[in-house]
Amino acid sequence: MAREMTALLNESQSFLETKTEGWEALRVTGLSKVFGEERVLDDVTFSIAEGESLVLLGHSGSGKSTTLRLIAGLEVPDNGEIFLKGRSIGHLRARERNVGVIFQHYALFPRMTVAENIAFGLRIRKVKKKDRLKVVDELLSMIGLGDQRDKYPAQLSGGQQQRVAIARALAYKPDVMLFDESFSALDPQTRVGLRREIRALLRRLRIPSLFITHDQDEAMELGDRIAILNRGRIEQLSTPDEVYNNPQTEYVATFLGAANVIEARWSDGLIALDCERRLAASVPAHSINDEKMKIVFRPEDVSLGQPTGLVETPYHLGRGEVLDVTFTGASETLMIRLLSSRRPGDTGSECNMVIKVLRNKWDARRLMLKQGDKVSVGLKSYKILEG
Amino acid sequence: MSQKARILPGQRIDLARPVGIGFIVVAMMPLVILPLASIFIYGFAKGPVHFWQALVAPAAIFSLKLSLITSTVATVCNVLFGLIAAYVMAKYNFKGESALTIIISLPTAIPTAVAGFALLLLWGRSGLLGQLLEKTDYQIMFTTSAIILANIFVTFPLAFGVIKPALDNLETSFEDAAETMGASRWQTFRFVLLPSLRGAIITGALLTFARSIGEFGSTIMVSGNLALKTQTAPLYIFAKFNEGDVEGANAIAAVLALISFAIFSLILFTRKRLEK
Repeated sequence: MAREMTALLNESQSFLETKTEGWEALRVTGLSKVFGEERVLDDVTFSIAEGESLVLLGHSGSGKSTTLRLIAGLEVPDNGEIFLKGRSIGHLRARERNVGVIFQHYALFPRMTVAENIAFGLRIRKVKKKDRLKVVDELLSMIGLGDQRDKYPAQLSGGQQQRVAIARALAYKPDVMLFDESFSALDPQTRVGLRREIRALLRRLRIPSLFITHDQDEAMELGDRIAILNRGRIEQLSTPDEVYNNPQTEYVATFLGAANVIEARWSDGLIALDCERRLAASVPAHSINDEKMKIVFRPEDVSLGQPTGLVETPYHLGRGEVLDVTFTGASETLMIRLLSSRRPGDTGSECNMVIKVLRNKWDARRLMLKQGDKVSVGLKSYKILEG
Repeated sequence: MSQKARILPGQRIDLARPVGIGFIVVAMMPLVILPLASIFIYGFAKGPVHFWQALVAPAAIFSLKLSLITSTVATVCNVLFGLIAAYVMAKYNFKGESALTIIISLPTAIPTAVAGFALLLLWGRSGLLGQLLEKTDYQIMFTTSAIILANIFVTFPLAFGVIKPALDNLETSFEDAAETMGASRWQTFRFVLLPSLRGAIITGALLTFARSIGEFGSTIMVSGNLALKTQTAPLYIFAKFNEGDVEGANAIAAVLALISFAIFSLILFTRKRLEK
């Protein structure tokens, strides 16, 4: 792998590096598609800048693969327009669009060798054999498979097949690269390594790319920006940092990593939770009393302290009881049930609000906790979702 | 399959094994093995010279040639049709698709004599198309063309039946990939699909040819069975036998049997190569 990495990161000038920057490479506006009764895509709009990589993240059925197929020209949209390098391509056939697609299982042609696969696009474009060979050689050394050129796809590993698929698409200099769940068929270790390789390669070549995935880690790692797709609509489109730390919807919050979502309402400028717990508002309260909302925070946004003392965090959530501790090496995950703030002996409904907490090794060591322990619970930050 | 029955502790020998194998062989003796063997035993009973003379008789040579030619033409036609039909039906979904598949497959289910009779009814002098032909001077029934038509009819679905599933098993993403790379439909078919179908095409062709070259029932109805004109090898065997010329029948029977063995081995060979 190391040898291939250096090959990819090799700074030599490639025939591919001819792109200009700052230009809008791909623009999709108001894309809609209905299959039978089902509205698969509903008014999807986004754009990808030259050299940028955008990830479409969503569960199966969210419409992400359909979006890719519409851009590639493998499906026809019911509505909307697609512009590639400023030209409208919605009316063009797939073969006239000059896009590179990396399919989920790579779709390498089984009866062609690695070299023949890579040269296929050029052969179709009637490039002379001598020039084809030059490009194939450069790409093969770039992906570190120079010694595999005469093998057939079935003789390669999954990771090698994917590299060939990428080289095959790069060979004819596509205007955009589309990756359709391209990493899901690989084993986890290869996947992570290859992801980094591809990322480095695309950054270097500055080829605009669209990745389709349901894997949030992959989305975070590959995307300059991430679009979260839910039932055919984009819920949020922003940088990985923004979508993780500033989710706009509950769907986004819970899809990207673990999130605690608690129902609450406004109460005199404070946030009232169940069990008569109150929380200072993290933003100036401009809301009407009793208006419902939700607060969201990540497991790592919680800090735990001695039950007697206050936690040194901006927001105090009250006392809790440890239900479960799972040690995972670098960190530990705890399930904490928040306890009623009523004094002992008070009657009333039992509180049953359970939150997930993540602590790193050092925090865990400072305050060792086991099942049944009482703690005070504080929040480093949280986010309010209106409605 | 790899897990063979093992002898359990306390069990000396598994009798079912030798008995089972023995049963298969004994049952096959009178049913398959001995009939095939007798072709060769009787063929050479009067010595190889006799056999050779029976084989090179002009009518015998002619019948073999005619069988090879008509079977080849029928095979080419049916493979081409099978390829096109398989491609169209794999690519497009349309109303009546399954009905069409059934109709394509029908000819193998129809008794060959019925098939020949049906062709006679259509192309014969009073037949639907035969009447039209009557006005021209052209005649189809009782000619080589009739034999080819009969061969095509009875082997019609064989190539299609092998190629269609092979095409269905090819991922559509190959076509999608080729298309996004700029290939036209023809280029996709020619460079991507066709090479992957090579094995199925060869197998389909061999099956069609093997079935064709042995065809009797329909051929005897439509060919007229004229020696040195429209007598194929199977008809020659039948004719010689009727004449009491057992050696003559035997020589050609041996050749046909050998051709079948050869084709069958080829099919097994391509299958094995395909599985690799």
